[in-house]
Amino acid sequence: MTRLTRRALLGTMGAAAAACALPAMPAFAADRSIRHYWWGNPERDKRTFAVIDTFQKKNAGIAVSGETIGWGDYWTKMATQTAGRNMADLVQMDYRFLFEYVNRGALKPLDEFVGKSLMIADFDKGPLDGGKVDGKLYALNIGSNSQVMVHNKRAFQEAGIDADLINWTWDDFAKACEKITAKSGGKMKGSDDLSLMIETFESWVRQNGREFYSPDGKVTATAGDVTSWWQMWADLRKAGVVRDKNKTVILDPPIAESGIAVGDTAMSHYWSNQLVGIQAVAKDKIGAAMVPHKAGGKPGQFIKPSMFLSLSRDAKDTGAAIAYMNAWVNDPDITGILGLERGIPCSPKIRAALAPKLTEVEKLSVDYFTAIQSKVGPLPVPAPKGAGEVRDAFMRIGTDVVLGKVEVAKAAGTFIEDAQAIIERAQ
Amino acid sequence: MKRFFARNAPAYVFLLPWLIGFFLLALGPILASLYLSFTRYDMVSAPRWIGWGNYEYMFTRDRRFWKALEVTFTYVALAVPARLIMALGVAMLLDKGLRTIGLYRAIFYLPSLLGASIAIAILWRQLFAADGVVNQVLAMVGIQGASWITDPDTSLYTLVVLAMWQFGSPMLIFLAGLRGIPRDLYEAAEIDGTPGWRQFTRITLPLLAPVIFFNLVLQTIDSFKTFSSAFIISNGTGAPADSLLFYTVYLFNEAFKFFRMGYASALAWFLLVIIATFTAIAFFTSKYWVHYENERD
Repeated sequence: MTRLTRRALLGTMGAAAAACALPAMPAFAADRSIRHYWWGNPERDKRTFAVIDTFQKKNAGIAVSGETIGWGDYWTKMATQTAGRNMADLVQMDYRFLFEYVNRGALKPLDEFVGKSLMIADFDKGPLDGGKVDGKLYALNIGSNSQVMVHNKRAFQEAGIDADLINWTWDDFAKACEKITAKSGGKMKGSDDLSLMIETFESWVRQNGREFYSPDGKVTATAGDVTSWWQMWADLRKAGVVRDKNKTVILDPPIAESGIAVGDTAMSHYWSNQLVGIQAVAKDKIGAAMVPHKAGGKPGQFIKPSMFLSLSRDAKDTGAAIAYMNAWVNDPDITGILGLERGIPCSPKIRAALAPKLTEVEKLSVDYFTAIQSKVGPLPVPAPKGAGEVRDAFMRIGTDVVLGKVEVAKAAGTFIEDAQAIIERAQ
Repeated sequence: MKRFFARNAPAYVFLLPWLIGFFLLALGPILASLYLSFTRYDMVSAPRWIGWGNYEYMFTRDRRFWKALEVTFTYVALAVPARLIMALGVAMLLDKGLRTIGLYRAIFYLPSLLGASIAIAILWRQLFAADGVVNQVLAMVGIQGASWITDPDTSLYTLVVLAMWQFGSPMLIFLAGLRGIPRDLYEAAEIDGTPGWRQFTRITLPLLAPVIFFNLVLQTIDSFKTFSSAFIISNGTGAPADSLLFYTVYLFNEAFKFFRMGYASALAWFLLVIIATFTAIAFFTSKYWVHYENERD
């Protein structure tokens, strides 16, 4: 109630002054208003508010208010707003939360607008289908990405590493780590220690021919998978060619503290839409390699929708919301502002329009994306409820392994047991 | 009845702001959380009644619950005595009658004002980091430091040290208590030639007992509820390897990270039971070791 009053008041004030230029606030006497909620970082927020500004200029009757917060608190606030029946009209959605929100009836399907006010006919089918649940489109892809081993080009050159970084294997990787460490006299290690990175571990499981979760939401990764993963990193640690264990056990450090950014290591694991952000904090030029393959194994990586835009259950003015959504993926002025920051757009037209203006690192991510197309596996089914907690358990139990406080095989068994219990309880 | 009001009216007037706040703001959520503790509630769908399910899971199947209890009890057992001893020690030094006592009181109280803040927790993390100040100082005297915060064997102790450093409020209360001890007792002891430590055990401690008791109860309750420092230092996870998984951090994660509001409510009520039990034990045993000066035997 108060919200409406406040907004109406703001609208009137805007009309009276007719000069309010703040982004994300009603600029004119807007009789329609929508809220857009996303998780962001300073760069993304800047771009998104510029998009809102542009959209409002073109659609004088619609006021868009933007709400942004970091990933860490995003889902807490979202759950609170969902419980209070006060969701923003448009919410940024993530692949791993999509099913959960659809199953709880918090999102509206978009199918009735497709072809009428939401024009997505020529979009890539694969990335678009990632937003479907039970055959209905609940989430519009606003960017795709994939796993990437970010590496320091200078260090690679100096160490004389000539491996084919798209097709390389874990053996090549280990050799590269040795060479880099030797070349720098131990000052720069070969790679971050990825023992605790469940995202990379999931690639490892897939290379072994399994998914981490089965389609019906059971844990299908085995204790053997976990043991071999942790053992490989234990060997690399012992050889002294990966990052110091005390740095490794600091969980989810910001990009600026990653080995590649501070120069401790020559490789780190990230998602490809983060390349721009990493280059911004890294001293040397970065390159993009695939996660190493298992010799004779299956593809471990996949291309995933990095972010979606969804229409919430609480949206009142769906017309305005869909108009905004449509502009996001089709209006060249808006997609030009967004660039590749949220991932690679799935409209071929937009990609072509962006191509001439790309910066060096943006070009790197597009080239990388093109190069891996034939090397990736299908998009796995979304992880079941509780997957976030399994990720925590992996890091927690892995910490003991990294610090050498528990035997690898024993810890692996504990993890699989815990993961199964967590998933079972979450259903 | 009339006499009761006449005697206690001022107390209730002073209590009024708290009572109003309690009934208007706190009581509703408290009762709601009691109800929720018997439900499964993820904040999005409606709460579903599951009876004692949450409590049953807590005691029979939740390994991390026991881990959280272990961490919290260890912390309370170490931090409370450490802080009280520190507070009493400093209070006795200040009680020696320094001229600038007001200044010292303020300075020593400062860490307690800052201690609960986020900034201090972040500072603490930096101090005890592998390449932090503590290790640099140790290196200067030739000692190879540990990585205090990232090693599960030492991380909890860095928090105990932090707790010790925040001795300000019990220190002030001790100081007031020390001031209340009649000086002539010490003079009499001096004349009898009683050594200092005996004066301490025979005069100071017994007469300070009510104040010690008061501080003990407050600090115990406080320590059970430790949250922000552990949350910040462990990045909200209880890491490394759950060594900083304080009960409140676990509760917070269950509620706001995994959206198990029902289970988190049950955890909260059990924490209340724990704190109430400890307070009750303290009160029950107090009659054996706390004597009030104006008590008639």
